[in-house]
Amino acid sequence: MRLLARTLLAGQGLRAAPPPARSCRGAAAGACLGWGRAAQPPRRPLSSWPGLETLFAAPGLRRFLEEQARGRAGPELGARIQRLWAKEQELRDTQELARGGENEDLQKLAEEEIVSCQEEITELKRQIVLHLIPSEETDKSDLVMEVTAGVGGQEAMLFTAEIFDTYQQYAAYKNWRFEILEYFPSEIGGLRHAAASIAGLEAYKHMKFEGGVHRVQRVPKTEKQGRVHTSTMTIAILPQPMEINLIINPKDLQIETKRASGAGGQHVNTTDSAVRIVHIPTGVVSECQQERSQIRNKEKAMQMLRAKLYSIKLEEETRKRYNARKIQIGTKGRSEKIRTYNFPQNRVTDHRINRTVHHIESFMLGEELLDEMITSLMECADYETLMEIISENVKTNLT
Amino acid sequence: MRLLTSPLRRMLLGLLNLYEGEGGSPAKCCVLNPHRLLRKQNFSAKMTATELVSYWRGVFEANGIPEAQESSEYIVSYVLGAKTFHSLGAGSLSTPLTLEQQQQIQKLSTKRLQRMPVQYILGEWDFWELTLKMRPPVFIPRPETEDLVSLVLEEEIQRNGSPAVNVGHQCPTVVSHPVILEIGCGSGAIALSLLSKLPTSRVIAVDKEEAAVNLTRENAQRLQLQDRIRILRYNVSSGSWEQLLPWGPVDTIVSNPPYVFHGDMTHLAEEILSYEDLGALDGGNDGMTVIKKILALAPCILKDHGSVFLEVDPRHPEMVENWLQSHPDLSLSVSAIHKDFFGKPRFLHIQKHKAGDCINKNSFA
Repeated sequence: MRLLARTLLAGQGLRAAPPPARSCRGAAAGACLGWGRAAQPPRRPLSSWPGLETLFAAPGLRRFLEEQARGRAGPELGARIQRLWAKEQELRDTQELARGGENEDLQKLAEEEIVSCQEEITELKRQIVLHLIPSEETDKSDLVMEVTAGVGGQEAMLFTAEIFDTYQQYAAYKNWRFEILEYFPSEIGGLRHAAASIAGLEAYKHMKFEGGVHRVQRVPKTEKQGRVHTSTMTIAILPQPMEINLIINPKDLQIETKRASGAGGQHVNTTDSAVRIVHIPTGVVSECQQERSQIRNKEKAMQMLRAKLYSIKLEEETRKRYNARKIQIGTKGRSEKIRTYNFPQNRVTDHRINRTVHHIESFMLGEELLDEMITSLMECADYETLMEIISENVKTNLT
Repeated sequence: MRLLTSPLRRMLLGLLNLYEGEGGSPAKCCVLNPHRLLRKQNFSAKMTATELVSYWRGVFEANGIPEAQESSEYIVSYVLGAKTFHSLGAGSLSTPLTLEQQQQIQKLSTKRLQRMPVQYILGEWDFWELTLKMRPPVFIPRPETEDLVSLVLEEEIQRNGSPAVNVGHQCPTVVSHPVILEIGCGSGAIALSLLSKLPTSRVIAVDKEEAAVNLTRENAQRLQLQDRIRILRYNVSSGSWEQLLPWGPVDTIVSNPPYVFHGDMTHLAEEILSYEDLGALDGGNDGMTVIKKILALAPCILKDHGSVFLEVDPRHPEMVENWLQSHPDLSLSVSAIHKDFFGKPRFLHIQKHKAGDCINKNSFA
């Protein structure tokens, strides 16, 4: 509930927010995902993932890698770094050879050699990057997605319903399992609030970037005078804890059903299968009435409760551990305005990486366009993490 | 008025209450004359799911039908192809229903006005992940019984020391091949849930009523679980127990036997009294008639250290413990009493604790 209240507040805060299209161009590369933090000193213009070449050209990285290769890293990473240096030397030698060569056959051979060398170097760099980026405990998790209509009344609810459908389709596109846990529609076909469990390969790793405030600008169906309105909805992405990541004492739970509390069992035949669970120490509540089977409702409510409690726990841990760190995806991010859907201009803009995609309708099908956006965000976050690690390394070396 | 049958009288009185003060309301004659109702609904052809739910809730409330809101929601959702009102998408809530759909809702709601249980009206209900066909007078499984299934599953997991259970969407690991006997299978809810959750198990499901045996068979086929189940018509009071051993002694007996004390039967709701097979509920003066038969039978058909899981009345655990103590020859004892979600002692786990011949062989032969 606390989370919800906060997200609602954040949504309301947007009413006074400045108009869209805040230019991110020229903003700091390292701050591309650094939402929720004061402005960073500008480092480098960035409009998307800078690519491996740029990254490896950074002076700090080379020194960092040298240190890693000297034994700080695990043997696997060390070996890859050594191999990268060797391959780069080989490439330089071959290029030399190709330049000086007069024999046509030899020339051709050298060129082939260069191509294969370059391919291997790219692959090695990719692997090194993957090794350097620490994986989060939650990366492999499944998740619970909560959507809540924000500012804008019925229009916000209509938009919330559309966004919810988008992610349902995205889950199908990614071959993930999508199960609705809660669904509170509005009268005219909108959605006030809903929750769904999403499970599948790297589901959280992808979806964690979708948490935050999504803003829509369009002429609502309900608008008679043709004016463009701005409304919002909020998404919260809560990783689903594994059994060992979160242990709940059954004694802390109060499980309520609406089944008549009389004799029970064979004595009564009622159909209301809704289940509500209260976690007494925190007051966190979850309920489910999606299913006709009471035990399934209980399972789903429990799943949601676990995700909520886990999210609170992670948030506390993150606050303690990374007080000064920028990357707080999926936790702090949920109160930030992350994306604008501008219908008159037929564009979707992600404000964190300043990436704009046209064709809103295709985007909202939850297929390639959304997937590309999410991939960009993932790459950008990886880049940011890496730069973070390098700059921390530089700092340590200086002191 | 005295001449009218009771449901009809209730309907009339209810409607008079509901529309008191609304002179000439067309709805007043609606329920009494379905044709008028149809015309009225056709006239306001733009009715949405939400509007229909509240319309029928009003009618049900006026007629003193229990769970008016839920009944109305389940019926409308069912006609729209969803299981619950909450699982209807936002779109379908605001889309007007077709005339045909409205007619179907009316037909089903009329049955509810006659106090037919919603599960029979829809002809189906859910138990765990399964959707089972429901047909009067076969007993409708209660939510408590889902916990009985959980207990049997937990026991299986413990026995194997690893999850042989098809929990959620994980892949099952093949470990053992338990044989389970269910006594009084009704719609097949317990037997079929166990089969679907324990992919290597086999189940013998018996019931003394032909309607139940047929319904279990139908459900097994619909769920494609017919290959690992034997369904028999069998009466614990008179049948020969050898019939129950097509696969030899069983690991577990599970039953939700009739356990309502005979004296309580008259207090049951009309939904139960008018539609369900009371033989599936009436447990005799102490509610233990069938429980005792099952316990007497258990040592003959259980493997050593096999288990009996029973759902019972909250008064029964103590009574059963006492009864077993006075029948030591059965080699059975209560090993655990589990509570239901209201904290009532509802489930008994009984174990056969030593090897030995079947003492009661003769009496059942």
